[in-house]
Amino acid sequence: MTGWHASDDLVTRYASGSLPEPDAWSVEKHLESCGGCAARVSLAVRQTAAGVVLADVREAVLGAGLGTALGTALGTALEAGATRTAPGARTGRGARASAAPGAPAPSTPVTSRARLWASRRLAPPPAGSRAARVLWAAGPAVRGAWPVAVLGVALAAVLLARFADFAGARPLLLAVAPVVPIAGVALSYGAHADPLHEIAAATPSAGLRLVLTRTAAVLAVSLPLLTLAGFLVPSSGAPGAAAWLLPGLALTLASLALAGYVGFRAATAVTGGGWLCAVLSPVLTADGRLTARLAEQVSACLGGATAQGGWAAAAVLCAALLAARRSAYDRLERR
Amino acid sequence: MPTIRVTGLHVRHRKTVALDSLDVDFGPGVHGLLGPNGAGKTSLIRVLATVAEPAGGRVEILGEDTGDHRRLGDVRRRLGYLPQDFGYYPGFTVREFVAYVAWLKEMPAAATPSAVERAVARVGLADRIDAKVRTLSGGMVRRVGIAQAIVNAPQVLLFDEPTAGLDPEQRVEFRELLRELGTSATVIVSTHLVEDVAAACTEVTLVDEGRVAYRGTPQSLAALGETAVGVSGDNPIERGYTAALRAHRAHGSAAQAVRTLEGTAR
Repeated sequence: MTGWHASDDLVTRYASGSLPEPDAWSVEKHLESCGGCAARVSLAVRQTAAGVVLADVREAVLGAGLGTALGTALGTALEAGATRTAPGARTGRGARASAAPGAPAPSTPVTSRARLWASRRLAPPPAGSRAARVLWAAGPAVRGAWPVAVLGVALAAVLLARFADFAGARPLLLAVAPVVPIAGVALSYGAHADPLHEIAAATPSAGLRLVLTRTAAVLAVSLPLLTLAGFLVPSSGAPGAAAWLLPGLALTLASLALAGYVGFRAATAVTGGGWLCAVLSPVLTADGRLTARLAEQVSACLGGATAQGGWAAAAVLCAALLAARRSAYDRLERR
Repeated sequence: MPTIRVTGLHVRHRKTVALDSLDVDFGPGVHGLLGPNGAGKTSLIRVLATVAEPAGGRVEILGEDTGDHRRLGDVRRRLGYLPQDFGYYPGFTVREFVAYVAWLKEMPAAATPSAVERAVARVGLADRIDAKVRTLSGGMVRRVGIAQAIVNAPQVLLFDEPTAGLDPEQRVEFRELLRELGTSATVIVSTHLVEDVAAACTEVTLVDEGRVAYRGTPQSLAALGETAVGVSGDNPIERGYTAALRAHRAHGSAAQAVRTLEGTAR
């Protein structure tokens, strides 16, 4: 919730139906998160002709019992209200009705408008279309080549362990897994990744909200796939298959937090590249069997309560930084 | 009262200054943004669309400071923006594309289907509403872009080169749509085509080297063209455009340029 609240004039105009549609949508968006303004609007609406309709609805619903068909009661009450309100009544959008004398006759019958409002509040949009739009908003990383690449990594680990007897499959998977969601986020947001980026960037959904939607989608695809693959390969001295989850989450959040300063691609290079260097450099420079050294190094980075506690703390810290700097994501085009 | 007020706007692209302490305001009506390539038209449109971040200055849209994170969503809900270049997901139909943008604009779900159909009909694509966008011609895709911009009945509309890719008949239709939109909203159109300005705009702003080189009505720009000496062009507005540009470059300020031109005219 912001510090902004609907002014008395805005509330009155909203209740009377005289507010233009985009302004009314803005007010409604604010009402979703502001109980104070919602109560003021509610009071203002009750003072208009719609208040009589709402009182009838309440009476009909309570009289019929909550288990009865709400739609029928509502329709009956609304029609009764409409009859009472006309003639000379004017309706705005939804049930915001006014009984201003001498106002022009409604272009749309009160009942259909009111039913539209009722359906808007009582019935969610078709699940299929909403799911489809959320999937589109989830971004290119979920629909494009990226999920195939994640599946490829998971399959490669399983095949190497099962058919090539590669003992280092689990350690290698644990070393690579935290980088996968970071790459997915970089592939999800920005002009280089999303053909609709320029248009989406000018909408209220842009900024941190869209970034987090896409990050959630990336995590929803990569976490189960890679963790499942980890369970299907022998441990070979490496930590458990789920040991990468907290580091993966922390590094993804670190990448997002850093993106607020330097942009997604640079942030991905720093966090992903940094992680790989930290894990693989000691392995490549030390003596001994490569797979054993890799298992040791991965265990040092991921294994044990101390390491996991450190990753959890890092994840919380990055999440807090992200929240504190949320306005930095309003316009990411230069980053 | 202006719906858009820009004060001291400064925009940089790396070391290049795209807009240099620009002061301008726009009220309801159709405003043409004219200027040579690289003048700063697209930079201005993108800042107004809240996509690009200015290096300095203040932009107020519908009374709200766009630099205020808390009010930005509210401003964006009332905007319509057609960028110069835009893409789409390959599987989109026209209806899905416009509905998706409506969803991003946080339009109420119940109002969206009819708003989408209305917007698509206004750009003359009602019969292609369920066609895949990728099967449409370039001009039709442009019209789909216009439909997504107007789907939320915005109070501020920003079009960057909207007539690029439209055939002459479509251009005429689009100019009619512009005039209609300008009766209830502030419409800013960046264009290279002086015909667009002459036919649809109530005001013209000539931008050059990141500054306002000229402001006036298309008629006053044409009047400059009628009287200017030694400038070429196919019509008075083109000649007025060239004369205003030359004067701005010679004198460095819009006011001085106009005074000079008016002196020349007298």
